[in-house]
Amino acid sequence: MAGRYTRRDFLKLTAGAGAGIVVAACSSTPGASSAPSSVAPAGSSAASVGASAAPSSAPSAGAASASPGPLNFLTWSDHWSKDEIKGVKESTGIEVNITELADNIDGYNKLQQVHGQLDLVSGDALWVPHYYDAGLVQPIDISSFQVASQLYSMARSFDFWTKPDGYLAYPWGWSPIQIVFNPANVSPAPDSWQVLVDPKYKGRIVMEKQPTDIMLFAGVATGAKDIYNMTPDELAAAKDWLTKLKPNVKRLVQQNNETIQALASGEAWLATQNIGAPDRVKDAGGPQVEAIVPKEGTTGFIDGEMTVKGGDNQARVQPYLEAGAQAEYVAQNFLDNGRPLFNEKAYQLLVDKGQKERADRYLYNQPEQALNMRLKGPAGNTDAYIQAFNEVFGG
Amino acid sequence: MTATAEALPGASAEPVADDRRRLTRLWPFVPAAFVLGALFLVPLGIAFAASFWSTGKGLQLVADWSLKNYVYVLTEGPYLGVFAKTILVAALVTAIGIGAAFPFAYFLVRYVSARWQRIVLLAVIVPFWTSYLVRIYSWQAILGESGILNRVLIALGVITEPLDVFLYNDVGVVIVLFYLYFPFAALTLYTSLERFDFTQLTAAQDLGARPFTALRRILVPQVRPGLVTACIFVFIPILGEYLTPTLVGGTQGILIGYDVVTFYQGGSYPLMAATAFLIAAVVVALLIAFRRYLQIEDLVRGAG
Repeated sequence: MAGRYTRRDFLKLTAGAGAGIVVAACSSTPGASSAPSSVAPAGSSAASVGASAAPSSAPSAGAASASPGPLNFLTWSDHWSKDEIKGVKESTGIEVNITELADNIDGYNKLQQVHGQLDLVSGDALWVPHYYDAGLVQPIDISSFQVASQLYSMARSFDFWTKPDGYLAYPWGWSPIQIVFNPANVSPAPDSWQVLVDPKYKGRIVMEKQPTDIMLFAGVATGAKDIYNMTPDELAAAKDWLTKLKPNVKRLVQQNNETIQALASGEAWLATQNIGAPDRVKDAGGPQVEAIVPKEGTTGFIDGEMTVKGGDNQARVQPYLEAGAQAEYVAQNFLDNGRPLFNEKAYQLLVDKGQKERADRYLYNQPEQALNMRLKGPAGNTDAYIQAFNEVFGG
Repeated sequence: MTATAEALPGASAEPVADDRRRLTRLWPFVPAAFVLGALFLVPLGIAFAASFWSTGKGLQLVADWSLKNYVYVLTEGPYLGVFAKTILVAALVTAIGIGAAFPFAYFLVRYVSARWQRIVLLAVIVPFWTSYLVRIYSWQAILGESGILNRVLIALGVITEPLDVFLYNDVGVVIVLFYLYFPFAALTLYTSLERFDFTQLTAAQDLGARPFTALRRILVPQVRPGLVTACIFVFIPILGEYLTPTLVGGTQGILIGYDVVTFYQGGSYPLMAATAFLIAAVVVALLIAFRRYLQIEDLVRGAG
């Protein structure tokens, strides 16, 4: 009979195993105990640095330092690079888990669902105070960030990010949204949003799948007074414009590097994109494309990284940014992704590396231009905007 | 029978012990009940409730019960049309899939040696060893304007300029969905046909039946569970497909799953839930419609 199990034995065994799993799961819950040894050695020292260096307003910094897990960062593909993540790991021991987000509303909704499971979230301009008003993020004491001394001074004092209890985001970059076109296929050179609805460009446009932003473009193109609060008539006009736009849009992509690839391969002749697309397309082996700001105006973003309120590894946010937002990484990020960033020291590095012409061409030396744009933000009635978008692109 | 025979005397003599024994027998169901209850039925219930709610200006859920989300999806915008298109695409891919998988499995079972059967089946399964996403992206490289298909057609002199008809439209979606779901149909039909005694076909023909009549009247009724299961394995998942239509369908080839995701990404959870439950309703309606052809044991038998 040796080696045979009765049903009772089986139940005991499975009950024991189940209890073991539950205990293990509970003990690995952040804050409950120390992290596995494979994470702890390097990470714990970094976390303690973070805890001591974190702004005094960070309520859970001490608790988070006791459970040094990886920093969970919800961001766009052009806010990080493998080299930077690797460098941060080597210099601070902080591991970073990147989750890419499609657009602001996507990030906002995800954060609402998971709260402290994320530690750092990227957001655009007026979306940032929206996060704050919803109690999802907490301000930072930007003066306590040593790396912030590398920023253009104006980036440390945006009105819309300044609250009595601190600064809402660590500034990253900015760009107006431009129309990028391949002059070999698009002639005459466009100067208006209306080129996107010209039937001769059927199936030749690629845009990012950002429903609210596309509605904002439609609002600008159709002359809406306040693109964030379009009236029913203005929404209807914007929707009509989208109806004309849809046949021309071959596909809606998730990240802007897909747009670059589509332009580089010749699949797309027209696209909406940040500053810097011509060089990125060329770097990707594509044709010489050009970019314009439509005469009706455009929207633009000033983006930054927000500290999640109650993030499980919040104490690692500052050490991560201190290491990852250094000028060397930022300068390389500019070369990779084109649009201007707020790190002034990185601009100097670019000048030193012989990239002044490129940096100046993409307005890196004119950060004040960022405040001349219609900044991205949430619509007054997001549901109506999403419905209007989906009624066109959803069928 | 043994358990019942043992339980009966115990029930009269020791009712408390018997109750305990019965409860003990239920323990093994606890994990499954937890998974089904807490991780499936409860979220499903919440989503169902949310489908009757609305979204506030701050994207918060407002529990103001009404049918307006269902009315909206069924009467406004393009959703009903997309629903119909999704069902058509699913039916088309199922028909093509079964149409291709049936002769494949028939030939394999009847005419190929057991050793080669294993090799061919392995070839059918091999794509599952790679990521679903990688397989779809590979099709982008095949069907795109600068893709392999266009290059081959140009090299063969069939066309002079690359065609854009293979990708970012319904054609691309059907091709890739067929590729993705063919193994499900083929493996299901293979296991069903493998148990069929092919001498019955010979006997039928000996008795005067034409080959097609023998297939229709002898083979098909006996592999019906496998056919029904294959249809279900292909048709139902396609109703909720999102990635394939998004990645190879572009703006022209979307299916209803795309709308569900767009509502989700836009924070319109009530509309997302209403659309998702309408898809579920279609699935349930179809299962009810085909209930006379489908028994639960058929699923098990058909899947082999």
